Amino acid sequence: MFVLKPQSGVPIYRQILEQVRRMVASGQLAPGAELPSVRDLALKHAVNPMTISKAYSLLEAEGMLERNRGRPMTVASQARNSSLLNRRLQQIQPLVEQTVLAAKQLEIGEAELVKSVRRNWENDHE
Amino acid sequence: MRAVARLVFLYFAGTAMTRALTICGLLSCLISLYVVTYLPQSQHMLAFAQVGQLLFFLGSALMPVMVGRLAQGHASGLLPYGRWKLLLSMLLTVFLVALPTGILTPFAFVAGMSEPAAALVAHPGLLEFSITRAWIIYTSCVIIAGWLYLVMWFLSERNRAGFAKGMLVIVIMMFLPAREIQELSATTRWNLEQLAVAWTVFGALFLAWPRLKNVRATLRRATAGSRGGFSRDTSGREVDLILGTGNPWLFIAAQLIPIAVASRVGIDLPSVWLYFLTIFSTVNGAIAGQAAERSRALWLRSGWSRSGLFAAVEKSFLRHNVVVLVLLLLIMGLIGARAGFTRALMAMGLPLVVLGTLASTYLGLSLTRGLRWFEASLGVTLMLTLMAVSQMLGAQPAPLSVVIVIEILLAFSALALRILARRRWATIDWTQCRPTRALSLRGA
Amino acid sequence: MNDATVQAAHLSKSFGAKRVLDDLTFAVAPGDVIGVLGKNGAGKTTLLELMLGFTPPSAGDIRVFGHSSERLPGDAKSRVGFVPQQDELIDQLTVADQLRLIASFYPHWDAELIDRLCTEWGVNPKARVKSMSVGERQKLSILLAFGHRPDLLVLDEPVASLDPMARRQFLEQLVEASADGRRTVIFSSHIVSDIERLANRIWILKDGRLDWQGDLDSLKESIVRLHLRAADGVLANLEVPGALSVRRDGSFTTAVVRDWTPGSLESLTAGRAIDVQVESLALEEIFLELHR
Repeated sequence: MFVLKPQSGVPIYRQILEQVRRMVASGQLAPGAELPSVRDLALKHAVNPMTISKAYSLLEAEGMLERNRGRPMTVASQARNSSLLNRRLQQIQPLVEQTVLAAKQLEIGEAELVKSVRRNWENDHE
Repeated sequence: MRAVARLVFLYFAGTAMTRALTICGLLSCLISLYVVTYLPQSQHMLAFAQVGQLLFFLGSALMPVMVGRLAQGHASGLLPYGRWKLLLSMLLTVFLVALPTGILTPFAFVAGMSEPAAALVAHPGLLEFSITRAWIIYTSCVIIAGWLYLVMWFLSERNRAGFAKGMLVIVIMMFLPAREIQELSATTRWNLEQLAVAWTVFGALFLAWPRLKNVRATLRRATAGSRGGFSRDTSGREVDLILGTGNPWLFIAAQLIPIAVASRVGIDLPSVWLYFLTIFSTVNGAIAGQAAERSRALWLRSGWSRSGLFAAVEKSFLRHNVVVLVLLLLIMGLIGARAGFTRALMAMGLPLVVLGTLASTYLGLSLTRGLRWFEASLGVTLMLTLMAVSQMLGAQPAPLSVVIVIEILLAFSALALRILARRRWATIDWTQCRPTRALSLRGA
Repeated sequence: MNDATVQAAHLSKSFGAKRVLDDLTFAVAPGDVIGVLGKNGAGKTTLLELMLGFTPPSAGDIRVFGHSSERLPGDAKSRVGFVPQQDELIDQLTVADQLRLIASFYPHWDAELIDRLCTEWGVNPKARVKSMSVGERQKLSILLAFGHRPDLLVLDEPVASLDPMARRQFLEQLVEASADGRRTVIFSSHIVSDIERLANRIWILKDGRLDWQGDLDSLKESIVRLHLRAADGVLANLEVPGALSVRRDGSFTTAVVRDWTPGSLESLTAGRAIDVQVESLALEEIFLELHR
């Protein structure tokens, strides 16, 4: 379910946070869907279970996941709602920053950039 | 307590070889029991008992090795009550290993009588006396066993310093307990007191060893760099340096000192001397057992063929041993003159020492694949033969013709062993005689 | 913390004139998995040996399960497992005998687990230790430390001689062992990627001092590489606080900083037109930067 890269500069728990948020936001993880248990995930990826546990707890605090006694964590029913637009925007923020920076470095004007974005948007809908 | 039991079990039965030795020893003792109890008396009744006890003792040879390994590493400090349990297992082992002698002594004692032992049970006074003797001899054996394990431990260092320490202990041993048995001056109580003192001191040292080691390490590192570490061989011959045969003088000193001490102490039974000297000559040759492992470095640096390598190694060892042998023979001559050895004794004894050294040197050289069943049994046979001949020479009258035959056989064996060694070296495979890790651990 | 598994205060160790460890203070909570990093000679092995009472501290105090490490009572020792850097197996015994011997010292031994691991890891119970390869010997050493399910596992370079598959198997077993969160693991290793997977706290030993002790996550978040871009001249004299290394190249500057927080961005740029890209670093790079 997850792609974890322990050697990335990004801490493992954060990788899980981001991936879960993305999957919930995109609908890949529907409300009520079960997540792998801490132990199974830890064993599968050979990482510290406490890291996974930490990620799950943070997601629970966000309202993204809910704990069920005796069963693995599931996606909360209000998960999609609580994934507010702002938060979803935050997901792509780094990409936006990178694109803007690249454009500036290549000396592409703002208007040109917006035109390019719009073109891509139209193409995608076809 | 389970740990103690398992430790003792492993000492006696940890490898196939020690298991076999232990079982053979016990069987031999059982046979001896039967022989002494039911068969009519004869001079050689005790042979089974002696061989059995020796084999049983050799069967526990794993003890110094295992204790050394466990005690020197982290294990003894980490296992719950590790050092206590090790100590207890050692104590239990010495008491166990001397049991055959203890149990067989009453029977052996009455073996000198004219009636079979079974008939003597009817004499209660005699029974009581022999049981008292048995206790004395048993406890003396426990003491000796303890010292012998110490000798084994020193010899397992496989270097000249260890050999010297081992020999020194043998001398001390010959002095105290053996002499007392001879002179019938020991009592059970005195023996138990000795045991209590010796083991308390040893136990305290053993338990406190980690702390003492720390003090020593701290002191040593404070004066780091002051000492080189290896031998100060300056003979300049690379072959000798690598094989460790460079400096016979240290070796000679290591044998002179125990002999000097022993002569002061006044051991004078000729056969005991001979016994003693044949052990020397045997261990001497056992150092040759390292040749195969060490020659690898030689092989890598020189342009010799394998047979050329063997010739060079053989020459180096013979050169080393000749010096030591000549000295041993001179000493024997002197002692013989002083102690009044008969001419027969000298005539037979000197070749015995030479043959012992030669045979064991070649046996050592033939250990190109580690010590396995075949070589081990050859070694034990050789040792037993030498000891038996020394005993025979001490008897009155000495069976000279038998001795001569045996010595001729020994000469042929030495030749045969040389041929064996040469053939093995022609196809030597160094991956099969890897130096044991024990060596490196001891060096630390 | 009274229920700390291991606790040290101002711990120092010298060998003669040479000071190997200098004024270390730390506390290990139950369930922590601590990776100890350091160059060769930094004192990792000495620290682990101090922890288990093999050597006395020259100054300061170190306690395990509340007891002084040098005077650990027997039942505390049965809760500790140790894998030394060089194996201490008895060459003459078989694997099975070696396991049974060590098992007999402990009140509880999980024979089922050991049997299962022997099969999974390919350790032959009938083999004699003398004839085993270095990797197999190391696997056996690890098994000997696992069998009594210790609450504290201390490992000194446990995987140095294992091939990647064996290493992964070992890691999985450690994960399994620490899954319930009650077992504490402290291990030193050169293989930084393993530590990255497994540890939740990192100790970095440098010149005998604990250069860093804290969460792995915090470490990764606080030591970052900054890529700065601005017009010529702005960067030339820019001071980068907490910089471990700085490389200037005209309008570009790269700096590795420690103690980075989200707020640091503001104070760095302070209203100037500086473009800042924050790059997170892998543990190996962090280690290298700290030792530059």
